[in-house]
Amino acid sequence: MAVNLDAPVLVVDDYQTMIRIIRNLLKQLGFNNVEEASDGKEALAKMKLQKFGLVISDWNMEPMTGYELLREVRSDEQLKGTPFIMVTAESKTENVIAAKKAGVNNYIVKPFNAQTLKAKIASVLGDF
Amino acid sequence: MPDPQVATRIREALSALQGANLKDPRLGEVLHLASQMSDAMQEFFGALDRTLYSELRYISAYIARTRQEISALRPNDIQTDRIPTAGAELEAIVAGTAEATHTIMEAAEQVMAADPADIDAYQALVSDKMMEIFQACSFQDITGQRVKKVVTTLSHIEERIARFAEVMGVEDAEVEETAEEKRQKDLLLNGPALNGPEVAQDDIDALFGGDAAPANDGPMDQDALDALFD
Repeated sequence: MAVNLDAPVLVVDDYQTMIRIIRNLLKQLGFNNVEEASDGKEALAKMKLQKFGLVISDWNMEPMTGYELLREVRSDEQLKGTPFIMVTAESKTENVIAAKKAGVNNYIVKPFNAQTLKAKIASVLGDF
Repeated sequence: MPDPQVATRIREALSALQGANLKDPRLGEVLHLASQMSDAMQEFFGALDRTLYSELRYISAYIARTRQEISALRPNDIQTDRIPTAGAELEAIVAGTAEATHTIMEAAEQVMAADPADIDAYQALVSDKMMEIFQACSFQDITGQRVKKVVTTLSHIEERIARFAEVMGVEDAEVEETAEEKRQKDLLLNGPALNGPEVAQDDIDALFGGDAAPANDGPMDQDALDALFD
């Protein structure tokens, strides 16, 4: 399976700098359709209006965290199939296990590099 | 009537009665017992007075010492100067790093978007942008100095509070969990690990039902995370 580079990607982070970094990395990987949200609540609202091919979300955000967003997405019939990658500084075992149990497709710990992001996207969406 | 006066009057009454040569000896005995009781009570109340006085003096000295120690804490200085200054330094750090990051990313994006067809123009642009990046990196020096000031303030407060707790014999009280603390616990908001992600292979094995038990509930690095999703 090959990655569909035209599929819209939603990047969720409360730090504009991190969104900018991920957006640039995605651009380098060939993704041209990147949307952004500053927390889980905004992301969920966008997801209900538009179908995304991938969600890349931070964990620690207000008012809705990435973990809460993940659980909301997985409990929603329309959204539950959306590929979801967590990109976070939360690197404790309990966080990873909780995210995996909630249905996350992959988990990237910050700081990360382009190769890691590419590899994780490939593991979820297919080869580039 | 003060106790010493009562005792004196009882003694006088006893002497008067004895002098009156009363025929019934039981009356004299009663008066004698009353005299003894008065002496004993005088002694009791005297001791009580001394104890009470001693206790009040101790409490007074304790309050005076507490005031002295609180004064040594310089709470007004901490509240009105040191903490606001430290807060301002931290805000300046956030603003400084954000500005530097923006400058660096802006320069990098311009290089990435530049057309390399005109090699001379491209080289000049890259050179200019690299200089901008170098200049922006000077934030690190200023940030380091600001962080040092904040650390000094925290050390100052820590030392004073520790001394106060030691002198006053203060022990930590049980406190109720706040709503924010509960939220952080429920949503696993642990924040970044202090020394970066670290994990042992045992932790990964245990997560996948291996024999080894997790060494701890600490942070995981990217390799450990990958193993979970293979």
